[in-house]
Amino acid sequence: MTMNEFDRDMTATTFAEAGEHGTARKIMADGDNQQKKTAPAPKKSYTLPMVIFGAMSIGLYVALFRYQGWVTDTFTKGGIYTAWPILTAFVFSFIHGAFASNLLSFLGIEAKKH
Amino acid sequence: MKRLLFLILGIFLIMPLNSALAAGGAGPSKDMMTGKFIQVDPAARTATFIKSGATETQMVLTLPEGMAAEDLRLNKKMMVTLDSHAEGKVIKDASIMFLDMTLTKIGALLMIGLIGGLLSGFIGSGGAFVMTPAMMSLGAPGAIAVASNMCHKFPKAMIGAYKRYKYGQADIKLGLVMATTAIIGVQIGIKIQKYILKMWGNDGSNLYVSTVFVLVLVLVGAYVCYDAYKVAKGGGEAKTSKLALALMKINLPPMMEFKVAKVRISAWVTIPVGLFTGMLAATIAVGGFIGVPGMIYVVGASALVATATELIIAFIMGLWGSIQWGMAGLIDIRMSLLILAGSLIGVQLGALGTTYVKDHVIKIVMASVMLIVAVSRGALVPGYLAAVGLRSELDPQMASVLKTISDLALFAALGTAGIIISAAMVKGMVASRSEERAKLAKEGVQHG
Repeated sequence: MTMNEFDRDMTATTFAEAGEHGTARKIMADGDNQQKKTAPAPKKSYTLPMVIFGAMSIGLYVALFRYQGWVTDTFTKGGIYTAWPILTAFVFSFIHGAFASNLLSFLGIEAKKH
Repeated sequence: MKRLLFLILGIFLIMPLNSALAAGGAGPSKDMMTGKFIQVDPAARTATFIKSGATETQMVLTLPEGMAAEDLRLNKKMMVTLDSHAEGKVIKDASIMFLDMTLTKIGALLMIGLIGGLLSGFIGSGGAFVMTPAMMSLGAPGAIAVASNMCHKFPKAMIGAYKRYKYGQADIKLGLVMATTAIIGVQIGIKIQKYILKMWGNDGSNLYVSTVFVLVLVLVGAYVCYDAYKVAKGGGEAKTSKLALALMKINLPPMMEFKVAKVRISAWVTIPVGLFTGMLAATIAVGGFIGVPGMIYVVGASALVATATELIIAFIMGLWGSIQWGMAGLIDIRMSLLILAGSLIGVQLGALGTTYVKDHVIKIVMASVMLIVAVSRGALVPGYLAAVGLRSELDPQMASVLKTISDLALFAALGTAGIIISAAMVKGMVASRSEERAKLAKEGVQHG
């Protein structure tokens, strides 16, 4: 409890003891309002997830181009090897998609709240 | 959660249907194969080729007249088409599969991906009409460009559909019904295409595709444009089309209820829309330009719901197409993932952009893209007419001008859409923020 709140509660108690119940209630209500106004809204941080997913995404792209010879060879063998490009596209879309989502939120570009 | 299970179940139900229908011949040509040349004999005009696959097969191919031994690069993965009319294994065409990536090419792919994604998130489809030609102009063979575009389409559509589902715009049930029927429609479309190819050859097929493309895009695009103008003039509130209202009155079982689209309509109306979308998708390769107007004007969904639902259809059809092209070993995953890098940002930006605009803005963007793309294809029609002998040969200068118009129109379509979407989004965001500020100030006055 801060001193301000303590002071306010004590003042309200004094008024209440003196029989001024209306004034005591008003002091308490004003305090509540003030508290609501000053309490910061819980804001989600997008920086850390953006950096983590961004780093993972860069890592994946670097790996893709570093081993591009093996990748292009294996991924185009056809048949059961089709799973490679499909799964890779899914993995990249989840990681890079999460990065993109956090990046937009970090830049303050968000959907309209209805 | 229940809806997600429904989606996954739907996809698994569609898969066996695909393989049964794919026998009809969707995807790449059967005469095409991939592998490496290990030796060329210029004197005998033969080349030793190792066909890639789970088990590698070695074969000797004959070089056709006009092909030099130097045209075949040794130990580099190549895509080879055999001449189906010639006796023995004669090469018809051979091209290097994977282009060397330079910084300029990487930059171009990222940029095209970003704008294509923005368009896709906003109007549900788009991008493919410019991505495939763009990849080809960077040096990728046509089949590789189509396959790689397909492989970037389904993850992009998945992320876009997820975002728009979160905004309460995507109707999963409508998407599944449309996708299933569209896949069947694609098979019918391919059968028609094959018949035309057999009857009138490659030039006849090109002429047929371009004529259908221009006609459909001009007619539908003009109607969407007129409708958007009417809605904008009437204060921005879109009404359900008269046709859809009349069709909703047909009480022919089985009736289908689409909760997000707020529509109860007979399956006998929904199924033909899907079939027709698929048939046209097989012909003009941009099914979304038919699927979305179909859902708006025939089924009776709003532009917001129709474009969001189109992303579900694009995901399912893109995944199915990617498996087909992947089986033939034609996906250049590097190109797919580079386009995806830009388009995953673009698609989410486009999706959230829809929350700031009214229905008619989506229609304006859609109509503009359709009409400009129609110009691009229309410019090629005189050339095709000359090829089938329906008009005199084109002057070379004229042919080159028409080709330039065609290419520029594609990029103009993308640029115009990008500008309209960005401007509408910024305007919407500014208006929304000042509204919020005014609301806060009002609350402050009340409390003070």
